[in-house]
Amino acid sequence: MSYWNRVLHDARRREAYTKFVRTQDAGLGAFLEFDPARRLDPPLAEHADPGDVSYAGSVSRARSRGAAAGGETPESALAGVPFAVKDNIAVAGFNLTCASRILEELQSPYTATAVRRMEAAGARVVGKTNLDEFGMGSSTDNSALGVTHNPYDHTRVAGGSSGGSAAAVAAGLVPVALGSDTGGSVRQPASFCGVYGLKPTYGAVSRYGLVAFASSLDVVGVCARELSPLQAVFNVIRGLDERDHTSQEPVSGPSAKVSVVGVLTGLQGLDPAVRAAYERTVEYLQGLGYALREVELSTLKYVVPAYYTIATAEASANLARYNGVRYGLRPERAENPDELVRIARDEGLGPEVKLRILLGTYVLRSGFQDQYYLRAQRIRTAIRNELARAFDNVQAILTPTVPVLPFAHGEGELTAFQQKLADIFTATASLAGIPALSVPCESTTGGLPVGMQLLAPAFAEERLFAVAGRLAEAAGERGLVARPENYPPLPDWAAAKGYELDWS
Amino acid sequence: MENEELRVTAELAEIGLSESELQSLGVAVSELVRYFATMMEADLEELEPTTHALMAHNRTRADEPSAEPEATAESLLENAPELEDRFIVIPNVL
Amino acid sequence: MYQSFIGLEIHIQLLTRTKVFCGCRSAFGEEPNTNVCPVCLGYPGVLPTLNAEAIRMAYVVARTLNCELAEYSLFERKNYYYPDLPKNYQISQYAAPLGRGGYLDIEFHGKRKRVGIHEVHLEEDAGKMIHAGDMSLLDYNRAGTPLLEIVTEPDMEIGDEAELLLQQFRRMVRYLGVCDGNMEEGSMRCDANVSVNRHGQGLGSKVEIKNLNSSRFVRKALNHEIARQEEILSHGGTIPQETRLWNENRDLTETMRTKESAHDYRYFPEPDLPPFTTTAQFLGAVEASLVELPLERRDRFIEQYDLATHQADFLTEERPLADYFEAAVEHGAEAHAAATWLAADVRKMLNRRRIEVQDSPLTPKRLAELLQLLAESRIHGKIAKQTLGEIFETGRDPLEIIRENGWEQITDPATLSEYVDQVLARHPKAVQQVRDGDSKPIGFLVGQVMKASSGRAEPRAVQELIIAKLELKVVQVLSFGGAISGVRRADGLVEPGDLVSLGELFAQDGFADSVRFDELHLGRFLSEEITPQDWAILLSEVASRLQTGAADGIVIAHGTDTLSYTASLLYWCFADTSAPIVLTASVLPHDKPGEEPHPHSDALRNLKAAVRKAMSGEPGVHVIYGDADFSPLNLKFEGLLPFSAPSRAHEAAGRKGAVGDRGAAESAAAGALSLGRFRNWNMESPVYRGRPISREIGELPRAELTRKLEQAVRSVFIAKVFPGMQGDTLIALMNAGVRYFILELFDTGTANLRETPYSLRKAFQHGEQAGALFFCTSQQEIAVDFSEYVTGHELWREGAIPMGRLTTESVYTRLLAALMVAENDDELVKLMED
Repeated sequence: MSYWNRVLHDARRREAYTKFVRTQDAGLGAFLEFDPARRLDPPLAEHADPGDVSYAGSVSRARSRGAAAGGETPESALAGVPFAVKDNIAVAGFNLTCASRILEELQSPYTATAVRRMEAAGARVVGKTNLDEFGMGSSTDNSALGVTHNPYDHTRVAGGSSGGSAAAVAAGLVPVALGSDTGGSVRQPASFCGVYGLKPTYGAVSRYGLVAFASSLDVVGVCARELSPLQAVFNVIRGLDERDHTSQEPVSGPSAKVSVVGVLTGLQGLDPAVRAAYERTVEYLQGLGYALREVELSTLKYVVPAYYTIATAEASANLARYNGVRYGLRPERAENPDELVRIARDEGLGPEVKLRILLGTYVLRSGFQDQYYLRAQRIRTAIRNELARAFDNVQAILTPTVPVLPFAHGEGELTAFQQKLADIFTATASLAGIPALSVPCESTTGGLPVGMQLLAPAFAEERLFAVAGRLAEAAGERGLVARPENYPPLPDWAAAKGYELDWS
Repeated sequence: MENEELRVTAELAEIGLSESELQSLGVAVSELVRYFATMMEADLEELEPTTHALMAHNRTRADEPSAEPEATAESLLENAPELEDRFIVIPNVL
Repeated sequence: MYQSFIGLEIHIQLLTRTKVFCGCRSAFGEEPNTNVCPVCLGYPGVLPTLNAEAIRMAYVVARTLNCELAEYSLFERKNYYYPDLPKNYQISQYAAPLGRGGYLDIEFHGKRKRVGIHEVHLEEDAGKMIHAGDMSLLDYNRAGTPLLEIVTEPDMEIGDEAELLLQQFRRMVRYLGVCDGNMEEGSMRCDANVSVNRHGQGLGSKVEIKNLNSSRFVRKALNHEIARQEEILSHGGTIPQETRLWNENRDLTETMRTKESAHDYRYFPEPDLPPFTTTAQFLGAVEASLVELPLERRDRFIEQYDLATHQADFLTEERPLADYFEAAVEHGAEAHAAATWLAADVRKMLNRRRIEVQDSPLTPKRLAELLQLLAESRIHGKIAKQTLGEIFETGRDPLEIIRENGWEQITDPATLSEYVDQVLARHPKAVQQVRDGDSKPIGFLVGQVMKASSGRAEPRAVQELIIAKLELKVVQVLSFGGAISGVRRADGLVEPGDLVSLGELFAQDGFADSVRFDELHLGRFLSEEITPQDWAILLSEVASRLQTGAADGIVIAHGTDTLSYTASLLYWCFADTSAPIVLTASVLPHDKPGEEPHPHSDALRNLKAAVRKAMSGEPGVHVIYGDADFSPLNLKFEGLLPFSAPSRAHEAAGRKGAVGDRGAAESAAAGALSLGRFRNWNMESPVYRGRPISREIGELPRAELTRKLEQAVRSVFIAKVFPGMQGDTLIALMNAGVRYFILELFDTGTANLRETPYSLRKAFQHGEQAGALFFCTSQQEIAVDFSEYVTGHELWREGAIPMGRLTTESVYTRLLAALMVAENDDELVKLMED
């Protein structure tokens, strides 16, 4: 973390930091809102609510866990640390736009549990990051409110939907950022931006305050440049929340020890650079002393259709609330409630969102539900079963995070449909509800990062950290992926701009 | 998908489709629905559908009013596009 | 013939402190949009959390409705757009509701019917939308209130059954404390679906009716809708499946416009809420919440406290009152007295103060104390009422109030005796009058003692003392017209006379000392000339004689023609009398005293038999005729028999259900004296004693009694159905002010309902609008229960009320008695069916 817990420490450092982010983000487009002062002193009530037993409990639990794990408490690790939050996660005082026209003006009246836990541990929200509208996309191009570039190549996308969070972290604007992952929305942009991206076990982190896209798949995830802050953040935000009845305490049992890593066979349609990186990573693992075992997933080919069926079905209901009645965009003129709702949704929602709502509505309609939605839920069972069987023999599984490299803005290189097909590896973990971590593994000859995905059984996140830690260790000073050019660390930038500040 | 099916679906979803949207979205929806149909090939035997990601135990909340509401009703009403005497207002059919 | 099928969808708001899926308070009547939070306002990013109390209450209701409880129940999203629904989906249950396959029993016209419960599921309520001109105002305070939906099977046939089910269900949930059942405020709501089809063809197209915000509207709307559909079907039309709205201003249902696609709710499991599985501990808590239900409790009250059905109904209508009653009994109150006081004086007091009994200063203990003081004659009725008022006023104990005010009565016999002796000595003329057989001065003498004691003497004890001191033991004979007191004119016709002359003949038989003949100053009349006023006089005379204790027995000499009316009327008023009330009659007058009696006259003979019965002390209302003792109920006068004709009574006596004929048979055997014939219709065994419709009737002031009787008589009409009878005739009668019909039908209750001018259906339908009631008896000796024939079933569907085995005459007088005490038609029907 080095300098990070000092950047908000006093007015001068804050000013330098603010200028740094504003300047650097001007060409990047990671943030939709940036204001480190706004929640410097988060409302006391949010932290010391005596009625919220679960909250106080979670903090103390987080502390004890952190103490046991590293000796250094997560509180001290995160104290004063700035972090960014994807703009589909509620933070009071900031907007909650979901990068949608329909919520462009919405002030969040409340704060998500994960954010509250971060702040309770001393971290501070500095801004909200861009995303594909309501988390629907793989490029952040589906944002109605701004364009986000890949810090390695501004002609390319940062990935999505948590593109803003991944880009902000990759560009060194924040050490960590919260994102959300439904079918890969943290891991895919992390892979594209050369940072770590964690999708925790479903239910390991409270979803309270995360704007729902597909409720049975959504999780709050974390992007970070380094592994240790990512772990620290996860340890702070995880755990049971009384406001989310699908949240869970980690089940005891899964050992953190990894000796056998599964390797997917029969992979098709990989970009050659991705395939090469995958093969080299396998070699690394072997070199690190892991036993490798081939894993075949016969259900893999059904993952994407099943994922999109379920995700759009749930989305069609989750997004029904945006109708311009209680909040959000209200049309100038409407004769009656029907018209009001239709115009609000027509003007307020983007084409990809409409497409998914239509799809989701269709697969739930009576007469179609059995052949689509119900069938997809059965496939989900099959995938879970198959993965459970695989984990009988291996402790973790390695896959590429994304079969393709960061692609150019627009549909020139990859059509919207092809972008969806690229969710195949990430959506597998989402359907199974298991944790997955995208590890920045390589840079291509063109300087684009490539990430690899590690999978583990439910609540066995520690295994992901263990393997990723070994990989990072092996890379040593060289690092797995180089920093993007033009995005120096804050102290270097500040020094270059003439700020005389001690960041240590 | 037939245009008629799309229209009914759009009506259920409260999405007004212009002619051009009907065209462009129609193509995209049809492409994906066709793709979804590949699920028909899967042999699912007698598998139960997964309705919840991870089967949690019963979860309930005690019937106690929130001690300190996390957001005041006023702060919520501030986001309402049109208000009158605390009521949220929408147009009515006369 | 058509068959109708009614099912209900009942929604109740559960009385939890907070909403079902968030911690907002669940309260009614607050400023708009105050009990709202991000969750119930459908903000982005929020999640529902299940209220433990809501799910417990839901299972309690399902269990009470005898449902099979789901071990695994699932919440689902029901998707539809409406501005009052914040998320535009409702969290509800669909594939796995928490309860299925239960039932609820209802009792309609004395018959129990089991209505199936299809399912019970928990969901969330929507907000409220108020339309105001060109805008709609939205209030989301109600959004998220726990709502339990109960779906019945289509097991009901008519609106009346649905109304009953709803009322019973309402009582049930109030007993369970899970809902206040207020339909006006919407905490209980009901949609109905109805389908009509030709008999035997199963369900027809389902029509849903909405906007039913009272149980009365449910009945009216359903009956209207059934009639509407039958009308269409009978003209060869078809019924479209649709949703209709009840228009309470126009009393009809109207088509409701709905969107074409509105019915595809796209249910799918709610991913935000884990399924609910019942644990042993949870089921234990559900069992522990079960209570004795209103119907069970009512039956127990009737059994355990010997209460009348309507009394038990009243007491068990609300659980707090039933609890209160039992607490009062526990504290030593006599059950009947407690029931009576709670229904009358206490209720009045509570209504005036607009408080509930459980919140009043009159604790069960205080009521018990008050009633005990009354029962022990330490205070009399008037003082008791005053004391009741004081308790409400000051919140103090009755004994304290009585002592302080010096209201305690003198009951000590020695003291009372002194007062009585003084008064008797001071009023020798009154004493003589009483000794001569006039009981009226007894009241005067009692009054004098009361005066002497400054109102503190216990009147009943005073009266008993006076009677004891005057050594009165008398049978009072009251003349109430008819041939028995009549005389034969020179031209041979019988004209009204009086009994006094007949009384002279009694002296010869040694009855003189103990039998007093008393004219009621009614003038002379024949029994066919009886007016309501005459009845009023008779009732109050009988009541005062019973009350003063001046009579050990009362004999009423009556005409034969209307004896069955007066006898049953006396029964409905005095069924629990402790002194015998004996009615008798004769076919022929005795003729003038001094002259030779008519050789066949039965007058003297019957009168003597009646007096003997009265002297026997056997309590109850009796009819003595020709040596036989008939029940006052179901009495039929079958007229004169030719002198020489062989009596049909022999055959009749052997027939089942005519036990009362025993007497007739005997008297027939006695020969020439059996001139007329009475028998009890439809009776398994004769009834002399029972529970009166109300004990209060005889105690009403005479003027009020007369007024009430006259009013009652004017609103009643007896019609014997006959081939060719027209419904329009009955409608004309309704327009002339008749509200209560006694229809003497055929058989087990049949009449013509075929669509012709001679159909009674129109009359029933008009009656439904006009608030007329139809009580049904039979022209045959059979029980009316609308069984056996489709025409009977149709009558039942039209709302006719079967009166079982009662005769038209008994039903008529019962109706008069009931009309005098019932506060509304509901109570009236209860009294009639009791």
